[in-house]
Amino acid sequence: MPPVYLLTYLLAPMLRYILRRLLYMIPIVFGVSIVVFLILHLVPGDPARLVAGPDATLEDVEIIRSSLGLDRPLPVQYVSWMGSLLHGDLGRSARTHRPVTHELGLTIPATVELTLAAMAIAVFIGVGAGTIAAVRRNSFFDYSSMVVALMGVCTPSFWLGLMLMLVFAVKLDLFPTIGRGGLDHLVLPAVTLGAGAAAIIARVTRSSMLEVLNMDYIRTAHAKGLTAQTVVLRHAVKNAFIPVITVIGLEFGYLLAGAVVTETVFAYPGVGRLLVEAIGYRDYPVIQGSLLLLALQFALVNLAVDVLYVFFDPRISYGTK
Amino acid sequence: MQPIKFLGILLLVSSLVALGGTACGPTAPAEKVITIGQYADAVSLDPQDTNDNASYSIEKPMLEGLIGFNEKMEQIPQLAERWEASPDAKVYTFYLRKGVKFHDGTPFNAAAVKANFDRIRNPDNKLKRYTLYKIISQIDVIDEYTVRFTLAGPFGAMIATFAHPAGGINSPTAVEKYGKEYGKNPVGTGPYKFVEWVPNDHITLVKNPDYWDKANGPKVDKIIVKPVPEAGTRIAMLQKGDAQFINTVPYAQAETVKGDKNLNLVATESIYTFWVSMNVQKKPFDNLKVRQALNYAIDKEAIIKAVLRGYGKPANSPVAPLVWGHAPAKTYPYDPAKAKALLAEAGYPNGFKTTLRGAESTEAKEVMVAIQGQLKQVGVEAEVISLPSATLSAERFKPLAENTGEIDYSGWSPSTGDADWAIRPLLTKENWPPTNYTIGFYTHPKVEELVKTALQTSDAAKRKAAYAEVQQIIMDDCPWIVLWVNYVLGGSRANVGGIAIQPDGIGFYRSVYYK
Repeated sequence: MPPVYLLTYLLAPMLRYILRRLLYMIPIVFGVSIVVFLILHLVPGDPARLVAGPDATLEDVEIIRSSLGLDRPLPVQYVSWMGSLLHGDLGRSARTHRPVTHELGLTIPATVELTLAAMAIAVFIGVGAGTIAAVRRNSFFDYSSMVVALMGVCTPSFWLGLMLMLVFAVKLDLFPTIGRGGLDHLVLPAVTLGAGAAAIIARVTRSSMLEVLNMDYIRTAHAKGLTAQTVVLRHAVKNAFIPVITVIGLEFGYLLAGAVVTETVFAYPGVGRLLVEAIGYRDYPVIQGSLLLLALQFALVNLAVDVLYVFFDPRISYGTK
Repeated sequence: MQPIKFLGILLLVSSLVALGGTACGPTAPAEKVITIGQYADAVSLDPQDTNDNASYSIEKPMLEGLIGFNEKMEQIPQLAERWEASPDAKVYTFYLRKGVKFHDGTPFNAAAVKANFDRIRNPDNKLKRYTLYKIISQIDVIDEYTVRFTLAGPFGAMIATFAHPAGGINSPTAVEKYGKEYGKNPVGTGPYKFVEWVPNDHITLVKNPDYWDKANGPKVDKIIVKPVPEAGTRIAMLQKGDAQFINTVPYAQAETVKGDKNLNLVATESIYTFWVSMNVQKKPFDNLKVRQALNYAIDKEAIIKAVLRGYGKPANSPVAPLVWGHAPAKTYPYDPAKAKALLAEAGYPNGFKTTLRGAESTEAKEVMVAIQGQLKQVGVEAEVISLPSATLSAERFKPLAENTGEIDYSGWSPSTGDADWAIRPLLTKENWPPTNYTIGFYTHPKVEELVKTALQTSDAAKRKAAYAEVQQIIMDDCPWIVLWVNYVLGGSRANVGGIAIQPDGIGFYRSVYYK
């Protein structure tokens, strides 16, 4: 059998599993769309009035209402929105008249870039500090890193962002203050965004590692004469990683949706800012479109986490009955 | 390990390149660039479809009206050299400037003016500023440079309405070419031309070398406006020099800017009046003595000092001093004893309970808490209700029967700069919610009559006299606790001049220069 086919054969159950999970996303997204739509229309606030502005007359407001299609009955509005959605059209922003797909096309890549950078920092620091803290339990490093981690969880990113900006951009002049651009633009917002996640990952890594390090097979590995490094890196880390992966996946999902504060502080053109502004103006098409996409991202990240489990723990398998 | 090492080197090199790129650029003759950190992004760049100051601030350097405002909100000729109004305030003739071209080369003339106002007054175009100009019934091109507007009825505030930022003249060729996308591709006659708009990131304008007014032409090569919603961030940008001007500076941070020798605080007296509107259709606010009592109960000076950090002055009229037609009427001095006595006379010797509604910004909350404390001194227990803007607007615009509002902290800036728009939408019966902003459901026969009289004529003296009388009635009848007129604050680098925030809250960017 040529190697390519062998690979396909081995991966087939996994592929089938992924395909099935992707199909499950259809009802999830459909459900999200209905819930979001209903909640939006139940929340007080009149988009036509907000778009028209505070000094608009009722006549202006009514003209805008009809131009936004908000004078139609709710079910009609939903069906027409769903209809365009199936054609890949998310409508136009009530405020800026830009197509929602265009708005998302501008902001989603920016947010993904920021989130990836933040996660890279969080995983590097979190897993590193957590592992060292576990191996050197009750040492000075253990105590101090866990105190720092606790502070990391508790620090509001709003404050942290402004402080980092004042010190590293204004005083030391190392980085630009705001905006999106090269790597130098990414450092401060990514650290701000990643700090909280790093802290959580560090704590989970530490406790998970401690559990594993007390197991018999680790003692056996030591007894076999393996170096401490090999024991920790090859035997312990891999087994301790399931809860860590879960937390990383969750944090990743939250960061994708929750970078609002960091994006606002650093005037970073991401999806969080877009969403919050849209909520302020009850810009229904933008809110619906971005929430739909965020739900989809969340589901995809979860799927990725489930697939990664197999890599870290071969006892877990999907699809083979 | 190899790939990781490689990645590390790659990261290092690329970050060095990125840093190097910003630190030591080419040494060609430096382009003069002004970067502005503004509190919000534009929504549209089509003045006829704009109703927010963030958008107008960016439109203004590109698009000029027939009439403009100077920094004191006085009308000045812009694309019209002069104009005439018929005594009955129904016919307006404009004599246009000759030899002006739009940025796309289209000549500016009477036909272009007609095309602009035909567009906005057509309800099918669904433009946000339709009602401002719908009163125009006919537009005649008299000759290449003369255009005449005929209104459906007399409207004495029409000149001011032409000076409104929505009256910015667009190239008819561009409007035709871009259609619904015109708001992203503005073409005007101003000192700066549109280059690009990356939403939520920046808008770039470049100088128009062919600008018609050589004496007041562009003084820098490029203006870049970046939306920066967080005030602390804007100040950090200014301190570092990443921005040369910021719009706006919150009162709480005014001292930070003022105390920095590299920065200037640019304060402008505004045309915003702030007030607490009382629902006069509801007890106990239907009682004049109660309304007077509440006016005496508030120590405006103290709140201005504490919350506005001194950047305000007590208002002596519902119309701010820089608005055309302002006439000082009276102020209510802080006198809690008198307030108590008036409440007792009105039948409320032990005060009463009420709700004070308003926005949820830090500043609005601080003001409302201060008012709450002062009302308590005279026995009035006010519960503060701060609402997010969308909910607040929904509550305020409910019709009388459903409106739960009692007293409401708000403010207003008449964007035409004329007393009509400072009074009519706020204090007349035909503008009760849901129609417009008379959120206290006020009406007064004499006010209604005078407001109409003032619109029947284009005679400035007659109009001013009518508005002076209205202002006196409002201050005596006090449907509002009239509070203050504030200052709007911007911040600039010390080496930059010619830039400020106008009294109406719109950024004034077109004259910016490096000292």
